[in-house]
Amino acid sequence: MSEVFEGYERQYCELSANLTRKCNCASVIHDSEQKKQQLSEISSGIDEADVLIRKMDLEARSLQPGVKATLLAKLREYKADLNKLKKEFKRISSPNAHDELLESGMTDVHSVSAEQRDRLSMSVERLNQSSDRIKESRKTVLETEELGISILEDLHQQRQTLLHAHNKLYDVDSAIDKSKKVLTTMSRRITKNKWIAGSVIVALVLAIILILYYKISHR
Amino acid sequence: MGDQLARGEEFVKKAEKKLKSWGLFGSKYEDAADLFDKAANCFKLAKSWDKAGSTYVKLVNCHLKSESKHEAAQAYVNAAQCYKKTATKEAISCFQQAVNLFCDIGRLSMAARYYKEIAELYESEQNIEQAMDYFEKAADFFQNEEVSSSANQCKLKVAQFAAQIEQYQKAIGIYEEIARQSLTNNLLKYGVKGHLLNAGICQLCKSDVVAITNALERYHDLDPTFSGTREYRLLADIASALDEEDVTKFTEVVKEFHSMTPLDSWKTTLLLRVKERLKAKELEEDDLT
Repeated sequence: MSEVFEGYERQYCELSANLTRKCNCASVIHDSEQKKQQLSEISSGIDEADVLIRKMDLEARSLQPGVKATLLAKLREYKADLNKLKKEFKRISSPNAHDELLESGMTDVHSVSAEQRDRLSMSVERLNQSSDRIKESRKTVLETEELGISILEDLHQQRQTLLHAHNKLYDVDSAIDKSKKVLTTMSRRITKNKWIAGSVIVALVLAIILILYYKISHR
Repeated sequence: MGDQLARGEEFVKKAEKKLKSWGLFGSKYEDAADLFDKAANCFKLAKSWDKAGSTYVKLVNCHLKSESKHEAAQAYVNAAQCYKKTATKEAISCFQQAVNLFCDIGRLSMAARYYKEIAELYESEQNIEQAMDYFEKAADFFQNEEVSSSANQCKLKVAQFAAQIEQYQKAIGIYEEIARQSLTNNLLKYGVKGHLLNAGICQLCKSDVVAITNALERYHDLDPTFSGTREYRLLADIASALDEEDVTKFTEVVKEFHSMTPLDSWKTTLLLRVKERLKAKELEEDDLT
């Protein structure tokens, strides 16, 4: 006799798994046509489950008391299960504004994950781009630093050249002073020579005149 | 430019005639020199550098006879600059004679400058030993005249060539010396790490691992900021790669440094030598094992 019960039990398990799956699908579907179809399927499934449970009840009561107790316990579980399914069914079928409000966020599990994946890849891309840019700017900074170093070296050299030229100019200054003195001495000597030559010429001319005068006056 | 050539030839003829004749007051040398100068100018305008060079050499003779060594030396320099464009050997000999004259007069700084020119000519002919020689002479003269920046420049070139022909100790000495001098100078202290890097690379080429670690410590003492730079890290990484004889690590480290600041050809040649030695050592070890 328990074989029949077990057969009923198996049927009931299948049916209940089926019904739970259909309930989950139906709760996600928004299309009213499909939903109505699913709901009708679920309701027929629930009716079948009801019939099975009543048959199982009859079977269990007709058995011996020891087995009866265990079977009745199992039966109670199944009844509770079926009640849960019925409640679920009622929740889905009744247009519940509260549910709709909470449901609006989760449209489709797959599309949600795809969106998240897209967003993730975009942000990863952006991070890579910014790290590339940072590397480039670091390279530029290093190049600029090298350029700065060479400019500083050039400046150092120019500073040395300028200081050198400055010192040379002091030397040039003193050399010019010396040459000025030399030139003034030269010009003084020239005038002196001029005077001497002039006075010698005057003296010679006077001497010639005197001699001629004496010669003529002695004739 | 044919007329310039003709004018030049005219001037040369006039000058030579003047030389042969007996001028009054002994001023013939100066007049001849003047004419030669004009002639050389015309040749330069006509771009016939050889003729211009030879005219300048004749000019030198006139000046020497009229005892103005400075003018003579200047004329040698002009000649050398003309010859630079055609025949480098002539240019070098002219420069050499100019240097001798300058030394006689006592204008050592100009002598130094022209030694540097000679060295650069040898460098362009890839005659590295002679170039190194002349750069050393130039650096000496500059140092005597207290023009330390040009002296340092010439010394750097000497070090560069020394490393190229594998006289590593000399190069290391020069680089370290320059780094030490540059530390005190506000303008030059930013270049110190470059010099220390060059010295470090030469140490690596000597491939004496103990010396390298000593050197790195010494550099750290010299300049405390050096150990924070990427150059120091490069040297330390290469030293450890040499220790472990790991060629891939070496290439990695070098590539990383190169991606940030590109390595110039001198450094690349030297680092390549180090890599070859490392590879050879690795192969040797494989043979033994």
